[in-house]
Amino acid sequence: MSQQPTGFSDYWNAIDAELAAVPARPELEAIPMRTTHFCTVYWAKITSIGPYRIGGYLSIPHGDGPFPAIMQTPKYGSVNHVPDYNDRKRYVMFTLMHRGQRLTDSPWAAAYPGLLTDGIASKATYIYRSILADCLRGAEFLQNRPEVDSSRIAITGDDLALITAARRPGFSFVHAAGLMFYRLMENRERTSAYPVEELNDYLRAFPEQSDSVAGTLAFFDPVHHVSTITARTLLSVGDGGAVGGPEWLQPLKDQIGGAVEEYRVTHRGGTDNDSIDAWLANQLGREPMSKFRRTLP
Amino acid sequence: MPATERSPETFVSSVQRPGDFDDFWNGLLAEVGEIPLNPTVEHIPMRSTDEVDVYEIGYDSLDGVRIAGWYCVPKESYLPPPYPGLLIVPGYVSEPTLPKSWAKQGYAAIGVAPRGKLRSNDQFNPGYPGLLVHNIVDKNTYSYRGFYIDACRAVDFALTRSEIDHSRIGVHGSSQGGALTITTAALRSDVITCGAAGAPYLCGFMEAAALTHSYPYEEINEYLRLYPERERQVRETLEYFDGNNFAPMIKAPMLVYIGLEDDVCPPETGFAVFNAMNCEKTLHTAENCAHDAGAFWEMAEIEAFLAKHLQPGAPAHRAETTVG
Repeated sequence: MSQQPTGFSDYWNAIDAELAAVPARPELEAIPMRTTHFCTVYWAKITSIGPYRIGGYLSIPHGDGPFPAIMQTPKYGSVNHVPDYNDRKRYVMFTLMHRGQRLTDSPWAAAYPGLLTDGIASKATYIYRSILADCLRGAEFLQNRPEVDSSRIAITGDDLALITAARRPGFSFVHAAGLMFYRLMENRERTSAYPVEELNDYLRAFPEQSDSVAGTLAFFDPVHHVSTITARTLLSVGDGGAVGGPEWLQPLKDQIGGAVEEYRVTHRGGTDNDSIDAWLANQLGREPMSKFRRTLP
Repeated sequence: MPATERSPETFVSSVQRPGDFDDFWNGLLAEVGEIPLNPTVEHIPMRSTDEVDVYEIGYDSLDGVRIAGWYCVPKESYLPPPYPGLLIVPGYVSEPTLPKSWAKQGYAAIGVAPRGKLRSNDQFNPGYPGLLVHNIVDKNTYSYRGFYIDACRAVDFALTRSEIDHSRIGVHGSSQGGALTITTAALRSDVITCGAAGAPYLCGFMEAAALTHSYPYEEINEYLRLYPERERQVRETLEYFDGNNFAPMIKAPMLVYIGLEDDVCPPETGFAVFNAMNCEKTLHTAENCAHDAGAFWEMAEIEAFLAKHLQPGAPAHRAETTVG
């Protein structure tokens, strides 16, 4: 399980080298519509490999920093929300759009369904090579912001968050949930739900590519990355016996380099949202806040 | 002033129904009825399986906007026609569903992509965020005017299909999909057999925005922070698009399910729209659940409800969880 594929380090080092050769050239534009009395929200543009101009929402609290910060890696889908109101009160927030998502879909727009298998026959052409580069560039951008307390930076998301944390050690805390690339070739046998079904669709159409697809995906399985994580990690864990459950995630958990905690999801969003919010707030030195207001003024 | 505990089940909405509400929507339905549907159906072998054929579809809607969608049908070798039709309507930020798992259950399932969604955004693309407040001061150009009609046009598409039993057409979605379930069941009450609406959005817009800072309703708060003088116009527009005003028009049986800690679509607004329905109806509430509305447990209830009213012929098979 934890055996890295041949050429793993060379592959990822090459991406780092490509990034290093491309200046990020950040550009911030305030968005009055999203700005409040307690924070300013910017659209931040940065250059990733390609070169490709990507972007994200950067929210900075008013007042004297530096502030704890959270990077949200992009979800699978065309839209990522503006950072949550409560989060913007407490943290510098950076929500990245990878290339092809809305607001960064020029010159190239991702297809849904389709993104998961775009270029998957080869690790050199796989779209997630560039998408991970976008995440790494986003991490560099946030970690170097002067408003950010470099000792209190968290990253949240799916596999992209884990891989980014593994390759950019400036994060102190990680929350990971809803992993897609972890054991994906096994997972695909157990589901017909999208987006994983995209992979089934692809391999029905191109069964002869099964080995090469598996070879590509091995480079993106977080199990091969997480040993270099130094942050404290909270792993959301599903039900016993299920994909995403404790047995399923145990090999990943065993490989994570830093301290690991499990959060057992209840499937009750109010409870789960509050629990994860509280964990992050406690790590980052802020007060927990529920998105759901139980009392009204 | 001391803070008060919320009591969503006793909430009474203040949304008013404009006197010309019916005229407004009947006029739009008549207008779109004059536009030829021009349906297209293209088989997508890559997404098809041994049990289900997948098609990319297109049709014309209000203002001549071309609308895309997915159409998933059981293969005759898997299950012979006729099939009940099922519209799966999308959430605000989620991608339109490719409803293969519903087809495997025996439905001819249409994943609707109203204007502005990917593949339906060449002619109209207000973006996300943006859709909720696009032209929000003018009911005649507000984003949801065409958006609601696009979902209704998917019913018209279903009625062109000979493999669908036109007396068994249902609609289902969560969040914005919950809203579209309500509006479609109301505007096409002559056709819709049943509807299952999760965490319904677009009901009590202004009340919801006052109860939360979560997106998408936060778009309204942001808009009014910037343009407070437009509040009256915004309120006037939204009354024409409020699920509470569509709910009494529904004739088909409805299942509504909500989370009692939903920060995205406050439970108060879920109770209000449910109370506004005069049809046969069932409400499921989920303690400690947020915008998931208890979907982890509720999906089995939804499947049973739809199967009871639409009677698909396939063996039991779980559908994908419907997301908002």
